Amino acid sequence: MVIVHEFEYFKPESVEGVIELLLKYKDKVRILAGGTDLIVRIKDGLEFPEAVIDIKGLTELGKFEFKDNKLFIGSLVTFNDLIESKIVEEKFPLLWESSKTVASIGIRNRATIVGNICSAVPSLDTGPALLVYEANVVVRGTEGERVISVLDWFLGPRKTALEAGEFVYGITISLSEKKRGGSYVKLGRYNGEDLAQVGLGILALEGNEYRLAFCAVGPVPGRAKKIEALLSGKSLTGSLIEEAKNLVPEEISPITDVRATKEYRLHVAKIMFERGIKAAVERLDGKGPAYGEKLI
Amino acid sequence: MKKISFVLNGEKRNIYVEPNDLLLDVLREKLGVKSPKYGCGRGDCGLCTVLINGKSARTCLILAIEVDGQEILTVEGLSKDKLTPLQESFIKHNSFQCGFCAPGMIMTATELLEKNSNPTEEEVKEAISGNLCRCTGYTPIIEAILDVNKK
Amino acid sequence: MEEFKFIGKPVDRLDEREKVTGAAKYVDDIEFGPNLLYTEIIESPHPHALINNINTSEAEKVEGVVKIVTGKDFPYKFGLYMKDRYIFAQDRVRFIGEQVAAVIARDPKTALKAAKLVKVEYEPFSAVFDPVEALKEDAPVIHPELGNYPHVPWFFPKGGSNVAHLRKVRKGDVEKGFKEADFVLEDTYRIPRYAHCCLETHIAVGLLDYSGRLTVWASSQSPHTQRNLFADALAPLGFSHKDIRVIAPYVGGGFGGKAGVTMEIIAAALATAVKGNPVKVIWRRDQEFYNTYMRLQVMSKIKVGVKNDGIITAFEITNYWDAGPYAEYGANVVNASGLSATGPYRMPNVKIDSYCIYTNLPAAGPYRGFGYSEMLFSVESHMTRIAKAIGIDPVEFRRKNGIREGDSLTYGAPMNPNGLLEAIDKVAKEIDWGKKETLNDPDKAIGKGFAIFWKAPAMPPNVSSTAFIKFSEDGSLNVIVSGMEIGQGYLTAMAQIAAEVLTVPPEKIRIELPDTDRNPYHWQTVASHVTWANGNAVKRAALQIRDRIFEVVHEVYHYDKDTLYLEDEKVKCKLHPSFELPLKDFVIEGIQTKDGTYRGGAIVGSGSFMPEFTSAQQDPETSQGGHPNVHYTVGAAAVKIEIDKQTGKVRILKAVEALDAGKAINPMNVKHQIYGGLLQGFATALYEDMRFDENGKILNPNFTDYKIPTSLDIPDEVVPIIVEVPQPDGPYGARGIGEHPMIPAAPIIANAVEDALGVRIKSMPMTAEKIAMAILNDKKEVDDFLMIMKK
Repeated sequence: MVIVHEFEYFKPESVEGVIELLLKYKDKVRILAGGTDLIVRIKDGLEFPEAVIDIKGLTELGKFEFKDNKLFIGSLVTFNDLIESKIVEEKFPLLWESSKTVASIGIRNRATIVGNICSAVPSLDTGPALLVYEANVVVRGTEGERVISVLDWFLGPRKTALEAGEFVYGITISLSEKKRGGSYVKLGRYNGEDLAQVGLGILALEGNEYRLAFCAVGPVPGRAKKIEALLSGKSLTGSLIEEAKNLVPEEISPITDVRATKEYRLHVAKIMFERGIKAAVERLDGKGPAYGEKLI
Repeated sequence: MKKISFVLNGEKRNIYVEPNDLLLDVLREKLGVKSPKYGCGRGDCGLCTVLINGKSARTCLILAIEVDGQEILTVEGLSKDKLTPLQESFIKHNSFQCGFCAPGMIMTATELLEKNSNPTEEEVKEAISGNLCRCTGYTPIIEAILDVNKK
Repeated sequence: MEEFKFIGKPVDRLDEREKVTGAAKYVDDIEFGPNLLYTEIIESPHPHALINNINTSEAEKVEGVVKIVTGKDFPYKFGLYMKDRYIFAQDRVRFIGEQVAAVIARDPKTALKAAKLVKVEYEPFSAVFDPVEALKEDAPVIHPELGNYPHVPWFFPKGGSNVAHLRKVRKGDVEKGFKEADFVLEDTYRIPRYAHCCLETHIAVGLLDYSGRLTVWASSQSPHTQRNLFADALAPLGFSHKDIRVIAPYVGGGFGGKAGVTMEIIAAALATAVKGNPVKVIWRRDQEFYNTYMRLQVMSKIKVGVKNDGIITAFEITNYWDAGPYAEYGANVVNASGLSATGPYRMPNVKIDSYCIYTNLPAAGPYRGFGYSEMLFSVESHMTRIAKAIGIDPVEFRRKNGIREGDSLTYGAPMNPNGLLEAIDKVAKEIDWGKKETLNDPDKAIGKGFAIFWKAPAMPPNVSSTAFIKFSEDGSLNVIVSGMEIGQGYLTAMAQIAAEVLTVPPEKIRIELPDTDRNPYHWQTVASHVTWANGNAVKRAALQIRDRIFEVVHEVYHYDKDTLYLEDEKVKCKLHPSFELPLKDFVIEGIQTKDGTYRGGAIVGSGSFMPEFTSAQQDPETSQGGHPNVHYTVGAAAVKIEIDKQTGKVRILKAVEALDAGKAINPMNVKHQIYGGLLQGFATALYEDMRFDENGKILNPNFTDYKIPTSLDIPDEVVPIIVEVPQPDGPYGARGIGEHPMIPAAPIIANAVEDALGVRIKSMPMTAEKIAMAILNDKKEVDDFLMIMKK
């Protein structure tokens, strides 16, 4: 209940201030934004930082704008900010749909999408959307700013491409000229909030291009390249979907744990693919189920 | 120890906190505000919910020091003079049984009705889905919330 | 038909205003002052081990530590029905999590820090986690001294084994019954552990003041029983009941988990170690999972014989219950459900063996339904299967075999008046039973399931309940009782009863939560018996007051007492319509007579109720004789579900439940119990899923992975139905219904799944995964039991 572990608390007001602390404390410091992951881990004795940097003092990290066909999501933007944004709902509906599946309102008012990708848990709900949107992670460090493609971001469970002395400034997602339709399908144990046992994000682009990414069924969320290659350039038919379904077991490596067996995850992943891709293609044409409607 | 100050239920309060003090514990133990409860300590149950700058948040996952300069509203703040129409609706519907989920549920529902004065049943269920209740089966709570501004 | 003013009306809950304003105080909301001490418990990491050494020297050095205690400081046993547990483990531990030592410190962070420094040396030996395994010759004997444990006379522990109790029922001749049967079905069902998940975790604060008086504040269903158990356990320290006081404020959920004594004894004991300082013991959520007595696991072997016309000729059930290593309360679950394991059926030939078995999983005990939810999963699944096998409609089968008033129960006594047939008919009608619904979607299936159920309060034969009532100058009443408001609406029901007799409306009645020094005795708030028992006591107290009122008025005005009546808080007289004496004018001050003197004075009343027809004296080999259960409450329920055949997910389209409440004192609150109880039951059926590793460690002691229902999980429609066949000895005909709503939830789902898919699932929970994999693998019967996860 209480936190026994003692640490220092800093609330810098500039990017330089953050970097200074990162360099001073090295790997013994943690960044605090929403805190919905970090605080639990400190309580559970899984993190024991010497210091905590509260970045809520940097107003520039709250930047949340759509400019030049690019959406910039600063690291203080919360999931509810994303959900309440008409721009996100209309132009990046897959991200909107994914965000709505995260926890509950009381968590979403604090939890940030940047925090989500920094935690890099295998089941993170934003992973698939960001991977198929091919978002970029904007990082600040001693060398200034660098951009890392989200495709290169996830290195392992709770491991990212972030290096010492760096922190995430924001995420950018570009709007495509092509029409897009997407779906995020999430397997949970019931209708209430749950961590994904399987998560699948799909983007169907004009011209028969398809992008798929899974989460919760491997050490990192990742694109399903084989299925993408199979479907590329083709319009969907029943038999093509069946063929693609059979590739699902090659794209994912689910485990058995208290939440589900690997057999069930494999089985439902195929169903999720079938329903998800149909919905994505229908939405591409402005039809299909409304974003936010659960497909499983 | 660091001194922080914030507005609690309309009044400015100053207290000393350690960096690792949780907001839930500080509210309950140092400021005598008992309505937010401990249920799980992990943000899963919603019992500790208050409004911070008008938004519902889980105080079990917030360091007290983070709310320096912010504004917090709890059930005590709602009940100072008259009860809100939402609270009256809960009374009319006999909604709560053991009552332990009530403060968190009320703050979440208060936030909902601020944003959306006439929610649909689906919207109500979605809004309170992070507030667990073991006793009621939710139906009398949902009915009370829908009844507040029913036209 | 009597018209009541307050009984049978949806009166506003007395406690609602406090609960919606944050005014309601639970134990942790009480300020205990700057001397409050905090504890951290050192727990066993082994399921079964000897304790060789406990080294507290490093921990004692931590500044802020006041005292560290171990089993040596409290070599005392406690237990409600049997004394098989020490306050702290003595020479050995028997489950992962068992309390070995405690650090008491000035603040919680210090307590936690110091606790990590306590070093315990264990010598693990073999453990057993399955009840059937625990019966084998080579299983470790968990209580070598079992034969010497004190216990209530209706328990039969088998010394030298892991059998804490065996309830045997033998009625008629099952062998003959099976021979007469045209069809016999035999099968096994498995039901795992479940957790209450009260939102308020267990908490107790103990204070031994400098005068030697021990007070314990506890989140409790049983203040008087807890005091009794404390007095019994701490008698070696010189304590007796008059020195001990239990104060029990509002409870954030009980569901049986806060009955009897579990952790509260720790606070009482620790208080004696730090005289003058209140000391708090509170469970974190994970501790709440493994320290609260869980719902027992059971493996149920059932065999039923029927004739072709559907009449049951023989019923045989063997239930192997896993009660964990401390069965003092769990054994009564086994006992009570054993006596009623037939379900609400008329059965001439019955054989029941209900074993309460020790294992090294955490302790198990009372949970809403007290064994009936577990056991009726087997029985009601089985009955539907048999009905279908012989081509009889499952509802018709229940009509034919359902128990009637006067029928002989398993132990020979007669069944009380009951509305079982009415409940069956109303539920069948509401769910449109017999109408098969179809869907256009080939990937979905619809099914309906039906079940009947019953439960009697499981109590010793001599439980009493009492009440005091007093007036104030404004004519308002205080009703002083020791039942607990755990959410069920008990305070309101008592107010309605007092209101009906004395015509003082419920809004002018306050009911105080117990302080055992001030509030008169009530056994426990369990068993769904409180409206009945305490209602009778409150009614008697109110009638006593009414008599006293009429006595005084008669004395002054000389009107015959049987011409007097109460209406609208006034005394009136049938023969003198103009006579109206407001109660508030005289209930404190008395009535002034012509000569200026007064009669009456402050008026108070008391009432006491104890059933005088119950007896636990039964033949230990057959359970015949005696009258162990006061009465049964019956009901019927049905559900209509839609299953996604690809994912296995179940959507509850409609749930219907009818309960015979005798007389619903507050129909709104009875319906609310149905909403809550059904949902709690559906959760056990569909997604609550407790898992242990191979070493008996609970793997999901949190809400992240032990899923309890949210607002998104409620059925599309719930129809509660109240049936009222009066209970002759109940207040206004009322009998209890608090536990019952949950009982039929799991079998109606199982039966509906079979109706929809032709798949019979014989183990709980019936998760989406189990259903989907059964369809995928074309299995017609599923008995996967995943509670212990093998690597």
